Amino acid sequence: MIERPRPDEPALAGATAKAVRAVAGRPGEPKETVGNRAKRIVRNILVWIPLILLVAWTVAPFLVTLSVSFKNRAQVFAQPGIIPSNPTFDAYAEVLASESFTTSFVNSLIVGVGTTALTILIGVPAAYAFARFRFRGRHLLLLFTLLPRLVPSIGLMVPIYRLAVAAGLLDKRITLIIVYTAMLLPLGVWLMVGFFQQIPREIEEAASVDGASLWGRLRHIVAPLAAPAMITIGVLAFREAWNEFTLVLVLTNTPGKRTLPFELYLMQGIEGIANFPGEAAFTILTILPFILVYTRIEKYVVAGLVTGSGK
Amino acid sequence: MTASTVTKSNGGRNTRWWQRNEKPPERDNNAIIGQRKSTPYLFTLPAIILVAALLGFPVLYGIGQSLFRRPSLGLPQEWVGLENYAAMFSSDAFWFSLNRTAIFVFGSLIVGTSLGLFFAFALFRVVGKLRFLRSVTVAPYIVSNVAAAVMFRILLNGQFGVVNQVIEFFGIDGPSWLANPNLAMVTVVFTQVWTDLPLTILLLLGGLMTIDRTHLDAALVDGATGWTRARHITIPLLAPQLLISTIWLSYSTLTGLGVVLALTGGGPLKATQTMAMEMYTVAFRNLEFNQALAIATFILVLNAVITLGYVAVGRRYEYEQ
Repeated sequence: MIERPRPDEPALAGATAKAVRAVAGRPGEPKETVGNRAKRIVRNILVWIPLILLVAWTVAPFLVTLSVSFKNRAQVFAQPGIIPSNPTFDAYAEVLASESFTTSFVNSLIVGVGTTALTILIGVPAAYAFARFRFRGRHLLLLFTLLPRLVPSIGLMVPIYRLAVAAGLLDKRITLIIVYTAMLLPLGVWLMVGFFQQIPREIEEAASVDGASLWGRLRHIVAPLAAPAMITIGVLAFREAWNEFTLVLVLTNTPGKRTLPFELYLMQGIEGIANFPGEAAFTILTILPFILVYTRIEKYVVAGLVTGSGK
Repeated sequence: MTASTVTKSNGGRNTRWWQRNEKPPERDNNAIIGQRKSTPYLFTLPAIILVAALLGFPVLYGIGQSLFRRPSLGLPQEWVGLENYAAMFSSDAFWFSLNRTAIFVFGSLIVGTSLGLFFAFALFRVVGKLRFLRSVTVAPYIVSNVAAAVMFRILLNGQFGVVNQVIEFFGIDGPSWLANPNLAMVTVVFTQVWTDLPLTILLLLGGLMTIDRTHLDAALVDGATGWTRARHITIPLLAPQLLISTIWLSYSTLTGLGVVLALTGGGPLKATQTMAMEMYTVAFRNLEFNQALAIATFILVLNAVITLGYVAVGRRYEYEQ
């Protein structure tokens, strides 16, 4: 009877959601009738050229990087073609053997998983309370939680650095986890509040009448229904922790604590002559975890991306 | 059945109890059965504390600290009022970086909005047919700024870069993109736009899909087609989405440091030394933290003013329609 949020789709609102779903493969309008054949061909070209340009614009940087990563340093200059004539895995072997990559990969993984877990652990109950409970000061508190979303990290670099120095928390992975979680929370809470409000209260009330406690309702009713939104936040949080550069740049200073972007940044500067295959392989390995699961997480990425801009 | 129709017609939210056929609930409509008074606070407090301590407080602390100065390393800092700001406004480096920022922001806005519109229109023609195009469109979002910088450095390399190979195919000598001050700015703009474009496209595409077909059909009847229709009907109707994407693009470029730092580090010859780069240089190369905080505060204020400016312009535009 009641229109429930589709559990397989992340929380999205309004027109953008429509766009996202439509691009994702909902049947479009029926084709307009076309006059003669020449006209149709011209029309098709007009439709296809911009789309080919779009694909080229987006994919070209990935392709050239992939191409260079399968060459050695000499081949990069000697054989500038896109398809390597005799591909080699030397660059990957070199990167995978280097401690800067392995250590920072593990660090990124720890910080990524930690940030994701902490963001969900703290953000979900807060969003649930804002969406469901009526309590004194909730509008003000919600505003306090959401407003800092507008603070750019450029405004945080120096203050957070100095506070971390003062607190003796510099160069610790836990500092990164906590800082990233704080940066993700406004967006996460915003996204989840919207989602929880869509879950009909009647379901929970029914469970409550049947004797379910608050914890029981959260565990067996709210959490399963809110899973898509939680995955969205998880993907967002992991991406942020994995890719964030400006804060890790100032919050860490020893090789053992840096994350991937920081190490990649250093790699560009250290050697006199740029090691293009090495940098390319490092880059590809950095985005590889995302690419492997990309088709599965893509809709959550889109949902997070779009929600994040909606204010 | 009445209850369900009402619920459906407004999307299942904001249904008042008197609109339902059920017995009106006696308790507060928003509350849940069996809830302790302290529960909501227990639920929300960790988030509020974390956000306040790590986002709210540092900003205020930074603004406060911009009013102090450390005479020399090791000495305690002392109150200097607005002296850091006076020093900032009288420094040539600051005005130069403001100029660079203006070019960076306007360049990215122009390139980003044009490309965004172009690609959104293109996608709109095939909406619903090609799923993989969404995957492609969104892909840059999973790449970090540093990785994007590496990719563009390879793409635009003077000796083996694909872009220069294409240029040389037409018989023109390919430039060295990152060594030439003007072209370095162009490179930074395009790299930044590449990382930011997925959202712009999705926003504008969303806007296109909400446009009422009757407007377009009416225009068609009046003889407006192609560019005329886009210029006078479609783009004005896209104003809300254009406003959001403009705000977001200029926020991202005005406050963004990652792409510039990783791609050019502010060079060559300081050609890409934006304000964010200037702030970073003053803080972490010159170690003049209080001076850097004055710049950071200026960036925050400028960002707020510009955003409000966009909103004001957008609102006036809406009224005129």
